[in-house]
Amino acid sequence: MPALSFHHVTKDYITDDQRVRALDSVSLDIASGEFVALVGRSGCGKSTLLNLAGAMDFPTAGEVLVGGVATSSLKDSALTKLRREKVGFIFQSFQLLHTLTVFENVELPLLLAGQRNARASAAERLALVELEGLGERYPHQLSGGQMQRVAIARALIHRPSILLADEPTGNLDTATGNVILQLLLGVTREQHTATIMATHSVEAAALANVVVRLRDGRIQEIERR
Amino acid sequence: MPRFSLFYRLICRPLWAEPARTALAALAIALGVAVVLAIDLAGNAATGSFHSSLETLAGDNDLEIVATGGVPERVVGALAAMPYALRISPRIDGYAVLTDTRQSVPLIGLDLVANVSELSTRPSGVDIANLQDSLKYLSDYDTVWLGESFKRGIGDRVPLLINDHLAEYTVRGVFPDSNGSAAAIVMDIATAQRALGRLGTIDRVLVKIPQEMTLDTWQQRLSAILPAGTEVRLAGTSTAENRKMLAAFRWNLRLLSYIALVVGAFLIYNTISVSVVRRRADIGIVRALGASRAAVLIAFLGEAFCFGLLGTVLGLPVGRLMASVAIKLMSATVESLYVSSRPGPLDLDAGAVILAFIIGIGVSVASAYSPAREASLVAPVEAMARGRREYLAAVHKLRDLLWAFALGFAALAASRAPAVGGKPLLGYLATLLLILASALAIPAFVAGAMHLAGRSLGKLFGVEALLASRSLSASLRRTSVLVGALSTAIAMMTAVGIMVGSFRQTVLLWMEDQLPADLYMRPAGNVGPDRHPTISTDLVETIAHLPAVAAIDRLREYEISYDGMPAGLASIELNVLRSYHNVDFLSGRSTNAVLADLRGQNAVIVSEPFANKHQVRAGHSITLSMGETRSGFRIADIYYDYSSERGTILIDRETLLRYLPDPAPSNLAIYVAPGTSIADARATIEHAAAGRRVLLFTNRDLRGEALRIFDRTFAITYALEAVAVIIAVMGVAGSLLALVIDRRRELALLRFLGAASAQIRKLIVAEAALLGMLATAAGVALGFTLSLILVFVINKQSFGWTIRFHWPVAVLVGALSVVYLATVLAGLYPANVAVRLRPIEVVHEE
Amino acid sequence: MRNSLAFLTGLLLLFPVSSQEFRLALPGYHYEFPRDHFSHPDFQTEWWYYTGNVRAAGGHRFGFELTFFRQALDRNPSKTSVWDVRDLYLAHLALSDLDARGFYYAERLNRSGPGIAGVRQNDGRIWNGNWRIDWKGNEQTLQAIDNRFTIELDLRAEKPPIIHGENGVSQKADGPGRASHYISLTRLAAKGQITLGGKPFEVSGLAWMDHEFFTHQLDADQAGWDWLSVQLEDDTELMLFRIRRKDGSIDPYSSGTFIDAQGRSMHLRDSDFVLRPLNDRWKSKATNADYPIHWRITIPKLRMDFEIQTSLPSQELTGGSRLAPNYWEGSVQINGRKGEAPLAGVGYLEMTGYDRPVEMGR
Repeated sequence: MPALSFHHVTKDYITDDQRVRALDSVSLDIASGEFVALVGRSGCGKSTLLNLAGAMDFPTAGEVLVGGVATSSLKDSALTKLRREKVGFIFQSFQLLHTLTVFENVELPLLLAGQRNARASAAERLALVELEGLGERYPHQLSGGQMQRVAIARALIHRPSILLADEPTGNLDTATGNVILQLLLGVTREQHTATIMATHSVEAAALANVVVRLRDGRIQEIERR
Repeated sequence: MPRFSLFYRLICRPLWAEPARTALAALAIALGVAVVLAIDLAGNAATGSFHSSLETLAGDNDLEIVATGGVPERVVGALAAMPYALRISPRIDGYAVLTDTRQSVPLIGLDLVANVSELSTRPSGVDIANLQDSLKYLSDYDTVWLGESFKRGIGDRVPLLINDHLAEYTVRGVFPDSNGSAAAIVMDIATAQRALGRLGTIDRVLVKIPQEMTLDTWQQRLSAILPAGTEVRLAGTSTAENRKMLAAFRWNLRLLSYIALVVGAFLIYNTISVSVVRRRADIGIVRALGASRAAVLIAFLGEAFCFGLLGTVLGLPVGRLMASVAIKLMSATVESLYVSSRPGPLDLDAGAVILAFIIGIGVSVASAYSPAREASLVAPVEAMARGRREYLAAVHKLRDLLWAFALGFAALAASRAPAVGGKPLLGYLATLLLILASALAIPAFVAGAMHLAGRSLGKLFGVEALLASRSLSASLRRTSVLVGALSTAIAMMTAVGIMVGSFRQTVLLWMEDQLPADLYMRPAGNVGPDRHPTISTDLVETIAHLPAVAAIDRLREYEISYDGMPAGLASIELNVLRSYHNVDFLSGRSTNAVLADLRGQNAVIVSEPFANKHQVRAGHSITLSMGETRSGFRIADIYYDYSSERGTILIDRETLLRYLPDPAPSNLAIYVAPGTSIADARATIEHAAAGRRVLLFTNRDLRGEALRIFDRTFAITYALEAVAVIIAVMGVAGSLLALVIDRRRELALLRFLGAASAQIRKLIVAEAALLGMLATAAGVALGFTLSLILVFVINKQSFGWTIRFHWPVAVLVGALSVVYLATVLAGLYPANVAVRLRPIEVVHEE
Repeated sequence: MRNSLAFLTGLLLLFPVSSQEFRLALPGYHYEFPRDHFSHPDFQTEWWYYTGNVRAAGGHRFGFELTFFRQALDRNPSKTSVWDVRDLYLAHLALSDLDARGFYYAERLNRSGPGIAGVRQNDGRIWNGNWRIDWKGNEQTLQAIDNRFTIELDLRAEKPPIIHGENGVSQKADGPGRASHYISLTRLAAKGQITLGGKPFEVSGLAWMDHEFFTHQLDADQAGWDWLSVQLEDDTELMLFRIRRKDGSIDPYSSGTFIDAQGRSMHLRDSDFVLRPLNDRWKSKATNADYPIHWRITIPKLRMDFEIQTSLPSQELTGGSRLAPNYWEGSVQINGRKGEAPLAGVGYLEMTGYDRPVEMGR
């Protein structure tokens, strides 16, 4: 069973009374341990695909199956539970909470899930992203690369089966970006996650097992390596 | 860039975009303006336009001649014979109760014969239609003339309760009374003297003088032929004196009403600050596009102006409505504590409207100045910088704390200063300084509290509390302003609550001491702080000789004017007092020792408010006009008294009767004989008093009534605080709403990170709860400090009585819980807004 | 006679008055002075009337009138307060500025109260507020204060009191008691000060006092009257009145008195004199009353023939007050002859009932 499946998924948005088709009959299976690069121009539907994959949104038609369960069939609380257990998000602009320390940022998903003692897990994840000892710092005391590492650590804290990254290197210089990409690749292998990364970068795409090219909401090509 | 489009872009669009927040800010100002306006209007109607009932039908006279206990009537003949073209109008001033409608009405005795001739100018100014015809009934001592507003016809019989007598009178004529503003019962002077039992004296002589020469000259000329005890003063002096007395009462209420406005100002400051912080990028852009600093300043002041304008427009009708409630409370207080009066009409005139606009817009713009100036200082390059701003604000918190200490010390110094012109100006200054000090100390307090509480909050109340506390301490400035506003409101509530509670407790304890008799009797006729109807002496004698009665204390009170202020002059019976009663004196001397000083001497004891109002101490001598003489009286001591703010002078009954021989008492304190039950004694007395209109109270009844009046008096105070608290709570709601909108990215992220919508709601409500907790803690601390100033400085200086400090625990806990609950509930709406945010739109909008 | 009758009428309408308990003016009354210069509370109605013509050092002429009037309401002994109304005291004051053609008048109504108005022989005082007469021996001082003018005069009687009528009564109508006791001081030398508009005038001249007291003297058919006092340069005086009846005739109870230079009086019956208006009239704008202001007197048995004229036609008192009817009372000059010799004098003329009949009855 694939970790994540899209079956003929179509997604329409309504903006200013106009229907815009963001995804058009997309079908895709992603297995655990696969590192998928989602490429295409801005507005081609990458973010929409990630949102659907992360159970943050529902398809207009078709089905998204996370761990074999169709997201459309779930209520809000079940979706929240699904996200808490199975999905980790990484964003282009890191999206750390500036009022929290590095530790607290990393712990946050566990805390939100109701766990009290998450400090050990957080420390372990920080070690994974090679940020031991920076746990008490605040985000604004970190470099961009370090912040994205914190974000990765946060995305991994609850051992998700799906890792969704939206332009994770978009705000970083090339060298730092490469380090982050290597980190994501390593995590995918070691944690056996199904990782989907939306990216503009050719270098980034080159690292992936699977490259999915999107254009105007349709899959143009799936390249498996 | 044209100025208007700048204004539109920076200000109007954001305002329209968030109608709820705009509305809340405007409402805060609206309520503030409404309260100030309401108190002003009601104050005007209840006290400002106060007209002593003595002015009813008083005509256009220049001078009046008065004397304690009445002017000897022969004075009228002497005045009439003076070789000047004077107009002399003798007059009896009393009260009657129209028992069928329970109206208490001025009863005026005039020389109606002198009013008949149309060739001479009317002495009284009363224009009775067909007076000549109705004078046929002059010799019938049941003849009255009534104001039109009573709607009685000629020939109607009206039951009048005068002193302790009820009798029917016949209406022989009516006169125009301009819709009740001059409503009165007019009798011929001979009838009035009989009805009121005042044969031999009249209450006043009104004098109209010729134009030439000054009032002073006439005052001297008239005084020269009058007995020493009479006073020639300007007509309307009583109104002026009473107005002066009421001014302090009004002043205090007005200041309380400003608290609501101060809280409103906090919130406008906050609103504009939020606007500035949020639109920093926009400001940078318009600055980059060429807008001047001044233009930006004006644009944000313009925003405040809009809030002020909108708030005032909303506040005017609300204020008018509140005024109609306030006037009832205020006039009840005036009636029970100060002087008999009828409230004037509520007059929302152009002046009041303009003042409301000035206050509403002025406070709004003034409180926006600091953030608007900050906006004008934004450099164009900051256009793209975001999010760093809040950290800078925190830097000043230590400096502010030092200022707070400095202001605190200044407040301490101010609180020790004496009253200025009878008003506790420096006391109020101390209050204001303390509020400022507290506002300045609050950032440090919030930061400190959050730092201390930080992690444990998360441990105790979960991740939402952690996030809430972090968010609050991160936006320290905004949080501080909110806590400042709410804590000011809570502080005032606490302070006034403590003050009133202490006062109430003090009065309760005092009454235990001061009401030693078993039964009290007073005439059923209208009693007031300035009205002292009397009990017939034959009834008094009957009661004194009842076997069930051990002793009676005949109290007689007169309304006098001392040093330009109204006061009470009352007689006591030393023998009775000595054997039954302990009076508490400031000196701590025993009752017997002090009373021994009074016996047979020209000596008095004065109440504490009297001593404070007139700056006299034991051993001083005061000059009193009584009857026809003026004599000096030594102040033997000063006694604690909470029954009258006007101040009272007590004198031995024997001494008083030497000057004013009228033996009829205004009140009786009755001591029941040992072995007789109070109920039996009461029945016996009531039997003896059958046919007389007197009221008999037990000790308990009297205390109950006193407390009822007390509570009614302070009802308006509570109402004012409630409004301030409502404004503050509204401010919490509005600010949380702003906070939600500002933090929508963070809230959305939390959803991505696995937060359930319930958790988002809980987070916002937790912030409200934290704000409430901080504000309550700061408010109670500040409130306690303020209450010390209220109790020991302001109260003492403006009313002159010593209050013992008392924590009204139940009341405070109750009130604070309600406020706290309201604050938490105020978080619900913003919480719902937060839950409805669509996370994916927010996160990907960048 | 005098207009006081009219005041009476007004007051009788206003106040319930019982005349039962009062004494009637009957023949044989024993006069005694100074007692009879003061109050007679047994009689229901009483008045003191001062009129005069005076002249300032510069020749400026004034006429004046000051009337004190007492009307008893009742003598109920339960009235114990000083404010109780036993008598009403009315007073009229008028000043005629004959040369500047100004006429000023004022009215007062009071109860006696605590010394507001009254008559007291002990103090020699008749007063209503600060309008007052003070007797000292044979002399009186008159003081009247108004906001426009003041009058202060010393009055010295040059002749003893005159008692009008016959047998001590001046009969006014048919029936016992329909009469008054009527005393006059017909020649009072007046000297003092008049202030008008803030300007003082030292004045001297002649004044006349009437004092009348009675109970219930009038007849319902009487419509008005004309009364005249004359002080002639030969030290003699005349008092004449004629009562006009509603049917237009002259009442036979009209009468008069002549006082010779020695102070002896002679009663004049209706048939002894003619008092007749001539054509010169003055019409009041205020009341439409048409007053004859030019009169002729002929008294054959005294060989007197005079014309009476006024230099100020507008001496009408109109209060609008129902206490008194509108009436004309003013200073007049007398010119004519006694026998062959020309004789002149000054006087006061009173005319009532010219706007409408004065209501006499009750």
